[in-house]
Amino acid sequence: MSLVSQVATVLINGLQQGAIYVLVAIGLSIILGTLKFVNFAHGALYLIGTYVGLFITLEVQLTGGKLMEWGYTELGLGWGFLPALIIVPAVVFVVGIVMERFVARPFYDRPDTDQILLTFGLAIVVQELFKILFGGQSYNFARPAWASGPVSVPVIGSFPQWRLYVLGITAVLVAGVYLLIEYTDFGLVVRAGTRDAEMVQLLGIKITRPYLMVFGVGAALAGVAGVVGGPLYAVNPNIGTEVLVPAFLVVVIGGVGSITGAVIGGILIGETLAILVAVAPQWSQVGIYVLAAVVLLARPQGLLGVEEVTP
Amino acid sequence: MTDEQTEHADAADEGTVVGAAEGELFSLDALMESELFVVGLFAAFVAVFPWVFSDAPVISGFLNGYRDLATLMLIWGIFAMGFNLLLGYTGLLSFGHAAFWGGAAYAAGIFSNLVSSSPILIILAGTVFAALLAWVLGFISLRRGGIYFSILTLAFGQMAYYMALSPMAWITNGENGYTAVEIGSLLGVIDLRYPVPVVGWLVGTWKYVLVGVVAVAAVAVAYRILNSPYGMVFRAVRENEQRAEFVGLNVWRYKLMSFVISGAFAGIAGSLFTIYGAYVPLQSLYWTTSGEIVIMSVLGGVGSLFGPIVGAGIYLYVENIISGVQALTLPFTGPAEWLTLVQEPVVLMEGFGAYWHLILGLVFVLVIALFPRGLWGLFEDVGEAVRSRTGGDR
Repeated sequence: MSLVSQVATVLINGLQQGAIYVLVAIGLSIILGTLKFVNFAHGALYLIGTYVGLFITLEVQLTGGKLMEWGYTELGLGWGFLPALIIVPAVVFVVGIVMERFVARPFYDRPDTDQILLTFGLAIVVQELFKILFGGQSYNFARPAWASGPVSVPVIGSFPQWRLYVLGITAVLVAGVYLLIEYTDFGLVVRAGTRDAEMVQLLGIKITRPYLMVFGVGAALAGVAGVVGGPLYAVNPNIGTEVLVPAFLVVVIGGVGSITGAVIGGILIGETLAILVAVAPQWSQVGIYVLAAVVLLARPQGLLGVEEVTP
Repeated sequence: MTDEQTEHADAADEGTVVGAAEGELFSLDALMESELFVVGLFAAFVAVFPWVFSDAPVISGFLNGYRDLATLMLIWGIFAMGFNLLLGYTGLLSFGHAAFWGGAAYAAGIFSNLVSSSPILIILAGTVFAALLAWVLGFISLRRGGIYFSILTLAFGQMAYYMALSPMAWITNGENGYTAVEIGSLLGVIDLRYPVPVVGWLVGTWKYVLVGVVAVAAVAVAYRILNSPYGMVFRAVRENEQRAEFVGLNVWRYKLMSFVISGAFAGIAGSLFTIYGAYVPLQSLYWTTSGEIVIMSVLGGVGSLFGPIVGAGIYLYVENIISGVQALTLPFTGPAEWLTLVQEPVVLMEGFGAYWHLILGLVFVLVIALFPRGLWGLFEDVGEAVRSRTGGDR
């Protein structure tokens, strides 16, 4: 393997790892930016996404299942993934809406610390529920049959096909959210809400509905991240909290409320991880925190963040 | 923080107590708010606690407690009290206190092996390390307020964990935890493992005495800080940062000092934890430890001196005793109880112990939503209601 292809492999690995963080962080970022609500339970949404996805793809094995009886195991494993990619975002979207209505909304006027504590407690409850339902063990989330093997990529050489799909899915979704926020009336209200929610309401726009949608979309993105990330990492009840900390770092580095910022922050963290894993593995985890510290010391509001107007 | 300091604090305080009660012949409220009374009551509690918890007739049979758990409760109580100085009084929610607890535990353990195994020096080393670490992390984390502070402390706490896990494994022993802890004898003569002569039945070993004395000292110091003008500023910052700024206070500086003091308390507790177990698990740096201290403090009640200590006690009790309960039975049913109504136990819930974390999580969520002042706040409200009903002297 030549040096060029080695470097290229590391870089694309970093890109792929960053993609998962971007998916989780965008929801976190727009919820924080628009609703001013800190969601420590955002990782729990990722967790729900993974387990619901796992349940759908593994239906055959978990229940003994109809498909098994009919002898369609191969089909069930392979094509269970496409339904999962559609059902999971829908399910988590609904979870997000319910969360906004019954968890977040009563707490908009409470102090930040109460919001953090509440969602932190909620994250624990969700995590424990999944531990009781599915046990504390790790599951193997199989890659879909149509993307399980390696594929030959120019320059890089052989590369796991699924990772390319992850990149593709992320790119499409991020582009979609970007267009939604930047070029639709809905996005206009959301962006205005980020700047000054009170003013938006004074202009006669009912902000309740957009708020619900923002929370739902943010949650759905975390859910998708759970499905596409499932086959890449071990699946256990702790993954929700494990993905939360890097996602928060992405938000802090990129700047709250900025989609572009989340993408840049995610890629930065993903690449830092990948490069350090290749060069100095024992420093890989520490590296992302050093990165966050350096960015914050230079630009406290994040790379693309706007200087906060004091409330 | 040695025991000598407490004595000074106590002795010096008598003057102020008299001052506060001046003009009244006898006031229950003034007495209850005096430092001597608060610290004295806590000292009395610490003295009888292990006996009541583990050996007293009837109660201990009901509680199922054991002495080591009593020691552990006090250690976490100190940690929770320090955490509360920050959250309850300054209004800053840190998710990175594991760094100070675990960092001090490591510092104490490594110090005990490389420099001196004297327990008092170990505590000092761990505490100083934690305070310095808090200074550095606070300096960076406090660049942003509110939620960013929480996120940053969480991040730097995790950074400390990964530092100990891998790059510094040559000294921290990586994921196996630090095992080479050496605990010498107190003041060169007292072996901490031995029971105390004469009052051994009450307080148990010297280890508990050491922890107890430090806990009482910590309560005295915390009380002194909170009731001084300096502590009043913390509360002012919590209530309204901008106003505090406008009256000319350097808010940032007070926040940093609050963070450092809180970190130092976590350091005292962390060092005691090393002495307690003669082992430092890597887990002590993981962010779940920060989460536990958050739960303990909030459950017990932030913004009061003793709430978090109560919270720590409840959490550890549930974690260590309740989690072992196989089936939840109706009280006083079944043969093993001290008062038996029915011989056959009436089972309310099978496999109860396995759900302890979930139940605690639910209670935590309910407490935040309904009783922001925690269980201690609930006690206070009930006490207040009773007093006003019975015609209090206000």
